[in-house]
Amino acid sequence: MTTTEPVTDDAREAAPGAVARLVHSPSVRLIARRLVAAVPIVLGVSILTFIVLSLIPGDAAQLLLGPEATPEQIAAMHRQMGLDQPPVQRYLGWLGGALTGDLGNSLVSGQPVTGELGSRLAVTGELVGLAFVLSLGLAIPVALLAAYKPNRLFDRVSMLVSITGLAVANYVIALLLVLVFAVQFAFFPAIGFVPIGQGIGENLRSMLLPAVSIAFPLFCFYTRFLRGDLVDQLRGEDYIVTARAKGIGPGQVLLRHAFRNSSFGLLTVVGLNLGTLIGATVIIEQIFALPGIGQLLLQAINTRDFVVVQACVVVFAVVAVLANLVTDLLYAVLDPRIRYGNR
Amino acid sequence: MSIEEVSELASPAPVYGGAEPLLEVSDLRVRFDAKGRRVNAVNGLSYHVHAGRMLAIIGESGSGKSVSSRALMGLLPPTARISGSARFLGTDLLSLSEREMRRHRGADLAMVFQDPTRSLNPTMRIGTQITEAVRAHGDVDKRAAFDRAMELLQLVRLPAPERRFYEYPHQLSGGMRQRVMIAIALAADPKLLIADEATTALDVTTQAQVMELLLELQERLGTAIIMISHDLGLAASYAHDVIVMYAGRAVEYAPASTLFSHVRMPYTRALLGAIPRLERTPHSLLPVTPGQPPDLTALPPGCPFAPRCSRAQDDCHAEPPPFAEHEPGHWWACWHPCEVGGPAEEGGR
Ligand SMILES: Nc1ncnc2c1ncn2[C@@H]1O[C@H](COP(=O)(O)OP(=O)(O)OP(=O)(O)O)[C@@H](O)[C@H]1O
Ligand code: SF4
Ligand SMILES: [Mg+2]
Repeated sequence: MTTTEPVTDDAREAAPGAVARLVHSPSVRLIARRLVAAVPIVLGVSILTFIVLSLIPGDAAQLLLGPEATPEQIAAMHRQMGLDQPPVQRYLGWLGGALTGDLGNSLVSGQPVTGELGSRLAVTGELVGLAFVLSLGLAIPVALLAAYKPNRLFDRVSMLVSITGLAVANYVIALLLVLVFAVQFAFFPAIGFVPIGQGIGENLRSMLLPAVSIAFPLFCFYTRFLRGDLVDQLRGEDYIVTARAKGIGPGQVLLRHAFRNSSFGLLTVVGLNLGTLIGATVIIEQIFALPGIGQLLLQAINTRDFVVVQACVVVFAVVAVLANLVTDLLYAVLDPRIRYGNR
Repeated sequence: MSIEEVSELASPAPVYGGAEPLLEVSDLRVRFDAKGRRVNAVNGLSYHVHAGRMLAIIGESGSGKSVSSRALMGLLPPTARISGSARFLGTDLLSLSEREMRRHRGADLAMVFQDPTRSLNPTMRIGTQITEAVRAHGDVDKRAAFDRAMELLQLVRLPAPERRFYEYPHQLSGGMRQRVMIAIALAADPKLLIADEATTALDVTTQAQVMELLLELQERLGTAIIMISHDLGLAASYAHDVIVMYAGRAVEYAPASTLFSHVRMPYTRALLGAIPRLERTPHSLLPVTPGQPPDLTALPPGCPFAPRCSRAQDDCHAEPPPFAEHEPGHWWACWHPCEVGGPAEEGGR
């Protein structure tokens, strides 16, 4: 028997060190808790999609073989696609694959869906990222200027623009942009996609119109939201009066005080948007023929390629859940009231 | 009642002591015009504050205490229409432009607000909020601003200032936050500090501590303090002079000792009488006076307190009593003042 040093409380606490601190850090706990909570959501979405897809009339084999196909040919095709198995078994088989990163093979092309999704996700990701940068990059300065002198000319004009912008659907904006910039002036390609590999300039040129179509309504929404929140802070909050009573200028009051607090509200709104934005990409990718996930989803629905549809929907669900998680985390990192816990 | 009608009430400012006052407010009027509704919040308020003294302004909710003091700081919303004058160190504060006003604000004229929880920026470190005030006036570099902030935190006796400097408001208790607010107000060594119900949101013990702190700072720095309060007891124990406000004007003004022993104005008496003598909770808000507070959108032509006054007679309803110095150092506005030593309950109905 070996003699061991008595383990003191201090030693026990010090031993796991960094790991313990990580496990006990509120942010890590938050991530863990939220990831666990996300599992049933994603699972539920996948089951629901599966059920809906089995209820939709029409099937991939029928469409592939054409109207002349005999029932025997279709049955053989079903066997080949694995569609002859009972639904529960099919779902469990799919789930097993999905957990290992294999989302199955397309019913139409026979290609693995996972690889296809990767390149598609990059395109959609770029589109959404660009739309966020454009909309926020413009909305923040415009809202700040409008709130600096509320109800003056600039404020009124920006309000008018954003109210109009909110009333117009993004696909209408897309069609208008195509008409003006691509057809009339030929500044931008009307449709098509240039990968980043072929030059970032060309890539951005092909992405700009679709990104603007998505960004414009967002810009209008963020401008209105932020301007309203800033004015509310400036008019109603006591800490603003304190700041003014110090004798600092109105610009500092706006930037250092009101904007600092309004930015948390904006962050929440942006996070919520990210989830719903996916819907917009489906239409816009279709209009501009961008090879993103939205386009893939529409094609797959048309060909009743249920494996691909299932994969797209699950990816959307995961993105929405992750977007919310990231928002909450940013909040936890940025807002001192949460960072240090409330009394 | 329009401003023009009220202006007949214009009253000379009471003068206390011999020296030139630090602040001389005369005939201050503030009204808010919003969507056809005209609120006459302050209606010809006049008073003086001398360097190194503490003046308490008391009155029930809505009597215009906050509005009148914010008017001095230029902190009212744009809907406010302000007239009158407020001479402070040779300049009329009310005639200054926003830009000129900013030079005084936080520099020789500072303010502490009621709710320290809402009055500090929740997303900014304590230290930053203080150094911001230090650097707002004068060319102070970062290092010097930090040193000054530390000095201020020690001055207001915030425990562990080095640590608190980097904390956020929600990590402090209410009393500590109010100390931080006072530190911010004192950043540029103001000559006049307006404390608008600075202790109302605090518990009794903290309230006393903060008042003691203010008194001590006043003695050390020679700052004049206007202390706005609901709390008569607080005014009696700390202030040198007391103004009682009703419906946006002064109705009684005297050194604290005189006022509380020789009440003449029935409204003041009603305030005092409404305090349950023994079991009065020290933190109670202003005691309830029977009757409705005046409607500031339609003030009566006579004495505004008449509808609630037990001493009211016909002349009270006809013409407003002038605010005048009836006894040396003791001002009041009343046609039929109470007898000194009379029953306390006779004021209100
Ligand atoms: N921005 C504003 N617009 C319209 N009316 C206002 C405005 N600010 C204050 N008032 C009105 O002016 C009157 C006086 O308000 P004030 O805040 O000075 O009262 P107060 O004596 O400080 O009361 P309290 O003890 O409740 O703080 C009130 O009737 C109030 O409703
Ligand atoms: S006695 Fe007359 S003047 Fe004096 S307070 Fe009462 S109503 Fe006003
Ligand atoms: Mg007030």
